[in-house]
Amino acid sequence: MNDGPRLFSILRQGPYLIASVHTALDDSQLVRFQNDLVERIGSDRARGVVIDVAALDVLDSFASRTLRDMAEMARLRGAVTVIVGIQPDVAFAMVQLGMDTGRVVTALDLEEGLAELDRGARDPTAQRP
Amino acid sequence: MVSGEPVESGAGDRGSADVAALIPLVRRIVASRVPDPATADDLVQETLTRVLAAAGRVEPGLLEPYAIVTARNTVASMWRDQDRQRRHQHRVVDLRPPQAPDEDVLAREDRTAVAEALTRLSDRERTTLLAHEVSGQDTRSLAAELGSTAGAVAAQLNRTRARLRVEYLLVSERAEPPTERCRPVLLAISGGDRRRQREVDAARHMLECDLCARLSEPLMGRGRSRDDAVRVAVRTDADVVAARQAAREVATRLGFSATDVTLIATAVSEMTRNIVRFADSGEVVVAELQEPRTGISIVARDAGPGIPDVEQALQDGYSTYRGLGLGLPGARRLMDEFAVVSEIGRGTTVTMTRWRGEA
Ligand SMILES: [Zn+2]
Repeated sequence: MNDGPRLFSILRQGPYLIASVHTALDDSQLVRFQNDLVERIGSDRARGVVIDVAALDVLDSFASRTLRDMAEMARLRGAVTVIVGIQPDVAFAMVQLGMDTGRVVTALDLEEGLAELDRGARDPTAQRP
Repeated sequence: MVSGEPVESGAGDRGSADVAALIPLVRRIVASRVPDPATADDLVQETLTRVLAAAGRVEPGLLEPYAIVTARNTVASMWRDQDRQRRHQHRVVDLRPPQAPDEDVLAREDRTAVAEALTRLSDRERTTLLAHEVSGQDTRSLAAELGSTAGAVAAQLNRTRARLRVEYLLVSERAEPPTERCRPVLLAISGGDRRRQREVDAARHMLECDLCARLSEPLMGRGRSRDDAVRVAVRTDADVVAARQAAREVATRLGFSATDVTLIATAVSEMTRNIVRFADSGEVVVAELQEPRTGISIVARDAGPGIPDVEQALQDGYSTYRGLGLGLPGARRLMDEFAVVSEIGRGTTVTMTRWRGEA
């Protein structure tokens, strides 16, 4: 299931990783995306990750959960995650479905995502009193 | 004897509760005609899907007769298909011409039937319908011309379409209704008018009249044309993407807004994943609806283990991520109509509909 072309890319930019989804992913491809990214965070010692999901056609319960898990695993490995590119329609469907990305920071696009990381991306967990 | 308790969803959906109650009856009818249990199961599911699709449009008393005639029709059409296959078996080796000559003839016959059916409408009905459907004149400007209101014109158009469907079927079946009651009954069914269905006692007539029994199904299918349905066989993760993209294409073609298209695709994704997770295989059928207005219907069907407690699975928060019936509450919120029929050990059928908002 996990062979076949990669439908995502993970590029390094300074201390950050930019992970971009290129097309609609099925569940096993999403899991592969998650595994690869978590591995790269470790090997690259990344401090921040921008995940660009603009190309995803839907963020259903599995995709939402996977994104949330990815951010959580990244956090445990010392990296902050910002998710960018959630289309308005997709966001609306997520709300209707009763899903959200949890405590993960979201931003409009890649530039804003990187800016967010530069600002030291308010790690939502750090805001606890 | 029915093994396994039929379970159904209800909450806010009278139809699906009633349909579940019909399972033993349908199973009995099919089993008495079809010896092979696997084939019988398929036909039962198919019958239930059709009955479920019509449930909202018939008065409660009509649901049982409709289930009976639909079960018979479904079995009969299976025999017909098999027979056709047998007769054409020798042709399988033939190289088919790029366009089968049959198709041309069929298209021509169809046009003739529509033309003939149109002549059976009153002048006023025909003029208004053609102005709307062919010339694209909207109901407001029609109302101004006719000294009426847009709502009244829309209602009149619906009645005319219902009549046209009846006449079209009669012409293409080359059938003359055997009794006085037939036309009123067929009209009440075609228009989805529950009060009229009761007044003309459509339930009893359908059991007594072969013609009306046969025509009831295409009339109740909400103008659904089976040829327009897109079927996606579901077995693997990749099929989940294929199913939601098929739904996206149909919804886009039907003029749904981009937001609605995404809502529909998300619901399809949820229900298709259930098939991959919990049943070996199944299928998703995406069909367009034209009656009572434009909509999209999605049927996700599997022959998996069934959901033990549909009511509970429909409650928010129940579904742990591993549970059967996962994602039902979410998907239900995304759609206008949502019904689940599940039988333990036999499978689950989810029928969902979303209507297009008026543009
Ligand atoms: Zn009749």
